[in-house]
Amino acid sequence: MTMRRIRRDERGYPPLLARIPDPPPSLWLRGDAPPALLADVAVAVVGARACSGYGRAVARSLAGGVAEAGAVVISGLARGIDGEAHRGALAGGGRTVAVLGCGIDRDYPAAHAELARAIVVAGGLVVSEYEPGVEPAPWRFPARNRIIAGLAAATVVVEARERSGALITADFALEDGREVLAVPGEITSALSRGTNGLLRQGATPATGVADVLEAIGLEPHTAPAAEPDDPACAAVLDALGAAAGAGTADDLSRATGLDAGRLATALTLLELAGRVAVEDGVVRSTIAR
Amino acid sequence: MLGRAVTFALVGLEPRRVEVEAHLRTGQQPSFAIVGLADRACQEAKHRVRSGVHSALFAWPDRVITVNLAPAALRKEGTGFDLAIALTVLAASDLALAARLVEHACIGELGLDGAIRPVAGVIAAAEGASRAGLSRMLCPAASAGEAALAGIEAIGVRHLAEAVGYLRGEDAIEPATAGTSRRGPVALPDLADVRGQERGRRALELAAAGTHNLLLAGPPGTGKTMLARRLPSILPELSSAQALEVTRIHSVAGTLPPGSGLLATPPFRAPHHGASAAAVVGGGAVPRPGEVSLAHRGVLLLDELPEFPRPVLEALRQPLEDGVVSVARVGGRALFPARFRLVATMNLCPCGGRGDPRVDCACTPARIAAYRDKVSRALLDRFDLIVTMPRPRAEELAAAPSEPSAAVRARVVQAASALEPAAPRRQAAASELLDRAVDRLPLSGRGRARVARVARTVAALGGSAEVLPEHVAEALSYRSPTELSTR
Repeated sequence: MTMRRIRRDERGYPPLLARIPDPPPSLWLRGDAPPALLADVAVAVVGARACSGYGRAVARSLAGGVAEAGAVVISGLARGIDGEAHRGALAGGGRTVAVLGCGIDRDYPAAHAELARAIVVAGGLVVSEYEPGVEPAPWRFPARNRIIAGLAAATVVVEARERSGALITADFALEDGREVLAVPGEITSALSRGTNGLLRQGATPATGVADVLEAIGLEPHTAPAAEPDDPACAAVLDALGAAAGAGTADDLSRATGLDAGRLATALTLLELAGRVAVEDGVVRSTIAR
Repeated sequence: MLGRAVTFALVGLEPRRVEVEAHLRTGQQPSFAIVGLADRACQEAKHRVRSGVHSALFAWPDRVITVNLAPAALRKEGTGFDLAIALTVLAASDLALAARLVEHACIGELGLDGAIRPVAGVIAAAEGASRAGLSRMLCPAASAGEAALAGIEAIGVRHLAEAVGYLRGEDAIEPATAGTSRRGPVALPDLADVRGQERGRRALELAAAGTHNLLLAGPPGTGKTMLARRLPSILPELSSAQALEVTRIHSVAGTLPPGSGLLATPPFRAPHHGASAAAVVGGGAVPRPGEVSLAHRGVLLLDELPEFPRPVLEALRQPLEDGVVSVARVGGRALFPARFRLVATMNLCPCGGRGDPRVDCACTPARIAAYRDKVSRALLDRFDLIVTMPRPRAEELAAAPSEPSAAVRARVVQAASALEPAAPRRQAAASELLDRAVDRLPLSGRGRARVARVARTVAALGGSAEVLPEHVAEALSYRSPTELSTR
């Protein structure tokens, strides 16, 4: 693996990061992409490790939309929302940067070793302020979060409990004078308490990709999502809309009157068109781009 | 004086010819010895044979008796040699008996009262006899219908005296006719009992029509097991060649009820997760068919898949891929056919709450990953159809009975016969959709082939002569989701 180091006084050190109160003295980079990637317009997409299917779907489609519009997606390679953000960016054909709380040669979490490789292959970077060989430790993660916030022009918190690491990232972003957005969630869900709290304090609601792009002054990628011209697909989208955006295949089968076979056909076409995501048997509509 | 008879020992499902010879000579001390690598049960034949002969009111020759089972290098196990041993001992001093005995193969266990009891593997032995050019076989009366399936004249006898009477030409016994047990009066659980679960039912229908492996995932209490147990009720009957294979396996395993004849209904096996690897895939010091072979041409249900020990699950991969289990032993290799539909059930997380949009699952990602890691990606890849079953809604449970098994079975039979001669071919547009899906979705090479197979079944069930894009799209919806692997 290619590993490089940029010192703070060197050319190529990301200018936005240099402006935070305590910028790291040097950054280790893994990947062949030029360090200039870190100077591109970037959005941090962060959130809970133990997230819901809703959070997963939102993180993925927000990151995908940001990447399609040409911005870099930054996150922390953690399980849950972070991983989905990286995956969404890769699926959107964009570049993404993972900031680690350990050496860049460590695969942490181990389950995301493959994802880290995919990020590098797709022209992204894995970044850390720690030397190669440094083991992950809980007290390093808040420090890592200041780099995530520092590299990004805006930070989007997708799902967070009341005392979540993602809120620390949001605090850093506020201190750095960057834009903070939060995805609204159900007021009864513990997973939305942190994000709804941010909204109450004045964070910008992220109700779609357009909100995020507006915050960083980018135009949305204008190619509209391919709409499968199939009456069954339209019926499924209608039924999903009526069911608060989520339902099981059998719920949709009853709501649309389609038999199980025809419904399965429609679901795959919608999934290929990026209009729905299916997880653990629950179908969710993705957010409008 | 020498008496001879022919019987058959089984190595796996393979019959091996065994010559039984009895030699009588005068000596100081009358004795009775069996030589030729006989195991314990076979050695005990001495006592059964002696008592049986007495009970049949024949005189026991007070000589030095040596019985040899040739070839001596082949291990003989079990009690099926009793009849041949008793008859050779009697034939050694009875020329009329000896002359007819060599025209017959013999198999059967003796009781102390001279009764002839059924043994395992009669059909396999009969096939061996038929191949060896013997036209008649003496066998227990209860197994005569089974032996007749091999195309041999099966002479069913209930008692040693009856066998001797027949061989001496004193009594005539009509050869048995081949027995068949069609779908009997035993009522299988019916699909009409399963309310709702449209997607699960559809997947079950596809699994039946196209011989696909099916994984039902979902919260506890959603009827996964209930649905899986109803698969046999919608399966087509076996062809006669398939039925013969199935009957042979069950005969050798001793799970064939005496007098049942040809098994024409696909078998259903559901081993408990405490079962050992040898019990599930077959094996043992003397190789015996396991549950996968007993489920040959039928259904193997593994309820609560992650609860099965990892070695058992990994051992399933070979039969799933090859359709046959090979058990290698010092004495040789035994092959057991194992072409079955695997149906498995599992929860989505340790608490079971995942998969229901109205329930908040509190399991941590690490616990979910540990739970799902129990089933390897490689095994998961071998399921053609993966369906998540939701918790049924109250209004579904209150609904009228669903479509009964008989109606579903009619469609399955039609689709299975449409797939038989030449499976539907894929339209160009359908191939295009499949390629696009491989690009967009996490789908391995093996996954692509599986989707293509399922699409053919979807087309056949829809009565279409070609695989259309809509069939591929439906097949894609049952693919192995990434969520079931570690994330």
